[in-house]
Amino acid sequence: MVQVGLLAPPGALVDTRHEYDHLFSIYVPIAVAVFALVVLAIGFAVLRYSRRAPSQAARWHEHNRLEGGYALALALVVVFLLYLTFSAEHRVDTVAAHERPALTVDVTGAKWEWQFYYPAYGITARSGTVGRQPLVVPVGEAIRFNVSTIDVIHAFWIPQLRYKRDLIPGTTESATLLFDRAGSFPGQCAEFCGLRHADMVFTVRAVNPAQFAAWARAGGKGVPS
Amino acid sequence: MTTAAPAVHGPTRIPGVLGALTSTDHKRIGLNLGLLSLVFFLVGGLFALLMRAQIAQPDVQFVSDQTYSQLFTMHGSTMIYLFVTPMALAMALYLVPLQIGAVSLAGPRLALIGFWIWLSGGLVMQSGWLTGDGAGRDGWFAYEPLANGTNTPGVGQDMWVIGVMLAALGMTAMAACVAATIARRRAPGMALLRMPVFTWTALVSVLMVVASFPVLILAMSLMYIDRHGGHIFSGFNGAIDYQDLFWFFGHPVVYVMFFPYLGAAAEVVAVCSHKRWFGHTAFVASIMAFAALSMSVWAHHMFTTGGVTNQYFAFTSTALVVPAGIEYFDMVGTMVGGSIVLRTSMLFALMFFIQFLIGGLSGIFLASPVLDYHVEDSYVVIAHFHYTLFAGSVFGFFAGVYHWFPKVTGAHLRDSWGRIHLVLLAVGTNLTFFPMFFLGQDGMPRRISRYPAHPGWGTLNLLESIGAGIIALGVLSFLVNVVVSLRRRQPAGDDPWQGHTLEWATSSPPPAYNFELPLPPIRSYAPLLDRRHEQLDRAGASP
Amino acid sequence: MRGGALPLFAWGALLLVLLALNWIWTGDAIQVGSFAFAALVIIAGGALLALRSREALRGGPPRVSRTRESVPQTSFAAVLVGLSVGAILFGLTFGRFIVYFGAGMLVISLGRLALELRAERASRRGTQDGPQDTGGSARAGEGRPG
Ligand SMILES: [Cu+2]
Ligand SMILES: [Cu+2]
Repeated sequence: MVQVGLLAPPGALVDTRHEYDHLFSIYVPIAVAVFALVVLAIGFAVLRYSRRAPSQAARWHEHNRLEGGYALALALVVVFLLYLTFSAEHRVDTVAAHERPALTVDVTGAKWEWQFYYPAYGITARSGTVGRQPLVVPVGEAIRFNVSTIDVIHAFWIPQLRYKRDLIPGTTESATLLFDRAGSFPGQCAEFCGLRHADMVFTVRAVNPAQFAAWARAGGKGVPS
Repeated sequence: MTTAAPAVHGPTRIPGVLGALTSTDHKRIGLNLGLLSLVFFLVGGLFALLMRAQIAQPDVQFVSDQTYSQLFTMHGSTMIYLFVTPMALAMALYLVPLQIGAVSLAGPRLALIGFWIWLSGGLVMQSGWLTGDGAGRDGWFAYEPLANGTNTPGVGQDMWVIGVMLAALGMTAMAACVAATIARRRAPGMALLRMPVFTWTALVSVLMVVASFPVLILAMSLMYIDRHGGHIFSGFNGAIDYQDLFWFFGHPVVYVMFFPYLGAAAEVVAVCSHKRWFGHTAFVASIMAFAALSMSVWAHHMFTTGGVTNQYFAFTSTALVVPAGIEYFDMVGTMVGGSIVLRTSMLFALMFFIQFLIGGLSGIFLASPVLDYHVEDSYVVIAHFHYTLFAGSVFGFFAGVYHWFPKVTGAHLRDSWGRIHLVLLAVGTNLTFFPMFFLGQDGMPRRISRYPAHPGWGTLNLLESIGAGIIALGVLSFLVNVVVSLRRRQPAGDDPWQGHTLEWATSSPPPAYNFELPLPPIRSYAPLLDRRHEQLDRAGASP
Repeated sequence: MRGGALPLFAWGALLLVLLALNWIWTGDAIQVGSFAFAALVIIAGGALLALRSREALRGGPPRVSRTRESVPQTSFAAVLVGLSVGAILFGLTFGRFIVYFGAGMLVISLGRLALELRAERASRRGTQDGPQDTGGSARAGEGRPG
């Protein structure tokens, strides 16, 4: 049994990429094993039973006890997967939401641009069909994104963080994310939003907190490197 | 034991095309529906090829963004509303009455009405191409508020809404007739648990249709009003409500597009193993549970909206593992101990089970909200549902075609062309859809008409586009096979495969009232196999 | 007919279980509403079958039946009904006149459909002693519902 609790020590910030990769690393071997098992079973049956006269075919055709036991085993697998999934979801959705963010950014989607507003600093950056100003964030801190849209549904997706959130008209949802290393993280609108959906892209620039502070003090001018 | 066909003989039918189009014979309606679905399959495939041409390489513009959005919308809509779902119903309409020993369909006029409503829907949807702003362009699920009158004005999108509404209405009518036939017209001796596997899969599918399609018709009606001045789907609740209504249809339809093909592949595996389907009772129980569960998983399409209770839907979606596992168990159990013949139909059926498994297993990932947060709306999802719908259902469909073509036409399909068809389709399918898992994982969203030259993306997309071309060649080889086989017929006889079920107990093609000879006694779900076993035993007893 | 309502009730019961779970877990009105509608359609279908014949509730194989069911060969009226429904809805997008045209056609074709059904019922009564040609497009045949 995997000790899920041990992997995220209490007090550590929730890391969506880590949660995803961990879950993924358990799901993938199970899936590969099941696939291999079924292919082997089919292959075995074909090789073993394809050179016999039709009259030699067996006539048994039911074994409900066996199937019942098998169904029970499958149900246990389901319980195991759900246990892993529910605990990961609890951290990504609930624990993260209770973290104290070091920075809050209001993300507004519109056809076909992103607006990133830093309420603490009065800075606004825009990206998409209007330009390519990056979303600058500090590394290693919990960052709260309040996402909303002024027109249709968009989705705020940062693939490297393995996380996205839909922007639904009439509401503001929030997501708390952590960038665990400095560098560029591409981002993109993931929900089809009309003609120039493909151009609704942005880049996150994660820098160390000191650089971020300097950038913010300068009113968001320039891109810290 | 069982009575013969009814006392009606040689009624005057209207000859020719007009007769074929107005016939209330379930076989004729099923064939018409199937043939037109096949035409729509080719049309939808053409849209896919154009899309693959546009995104074969980064930063090219082969078609405009506007056209691209129409292409992916109409590709999905054509395949779902006009090919895979109606084809499943077409197989049910043709085969179910034969398999349960019925003379005719219950409510044949309603089925005919349904067929023509569905066809009008298809034509209305496609006629959007002829309008000024083009065909529907908001995807096959046309989310609000993108699809409202302000964000997507134009007659083309209206035609999409009306087309979907009509197609759904027509299919609901036809499905109701299949359900009524199973309820009321089973031959003497045909108890529920003696119905063949395909009939059971068809039954749960048509029940899902009548339970869920009306909700789509409602959603489309409301959307039409919304597009013309009504404010129905506004604000947060409006957007979420639309998605709830749509996916209440949208997920069940996925299983309507799966179960009958599963049933077809199952029949093929059983017949080609010379052994009856293993675990029939467990299968029936599990398919009922499977269908009920799949009515309750719809909001796994909405995990990232924050508007639904993710845990309930993660629970129901993951629980699908149990019934799905039973189907696979029964498939292997059928082959073990049998006498397997690797006909083209059997190869397609085995490919169906293997390739669908990739779709099914990746579906378990999508059932987990945390994994879904990343891959939702990415190419992973495209890969997933093409493995279920194309690599799965369409392979099951072709398994059924190679199996039942002799019944429907009286002639065999060519095995040589069949092998070419199979190899091209299998190679093309995996080349097209497997790389999509990597692209999606790497961050490529669906429905973008252009993408930057990220490392690897150009190569993978090019491979996929080549794969799509190979699929097209595979489909072409199938069409050649049909033409060749019908031109120079190799007569198949009534029961070329030593079938198990009643459709093989009548002539090929079956007569107007399905059975002219008395039916064999029905004591199990494989009455013809029973009869064969009895003959064997008798021969063995008196050597 | 025999047992025809059973799968509907069985499946309807499964839906009710999942519906109850959905209700408890989500409490979402739209979700519970659409789910309840689906369960209702299925259970109502089963009830309808049971009302027509108590046989629909009994298990076991259907027996030979003497009731005659008519088996039509062809139906122009049905085609026209389908096309006029298509025309009415298509007219909404294309032009009012098609809506009116479709509505007119619908009335006429429903009338024809009624005539067809009446001729069929008459022929069924006429064939109690054996099948005979009624001259219409409908034909009486001996159906074999359980
Ligand atoms: Cu967008
Ligand atoms: Cu789904």
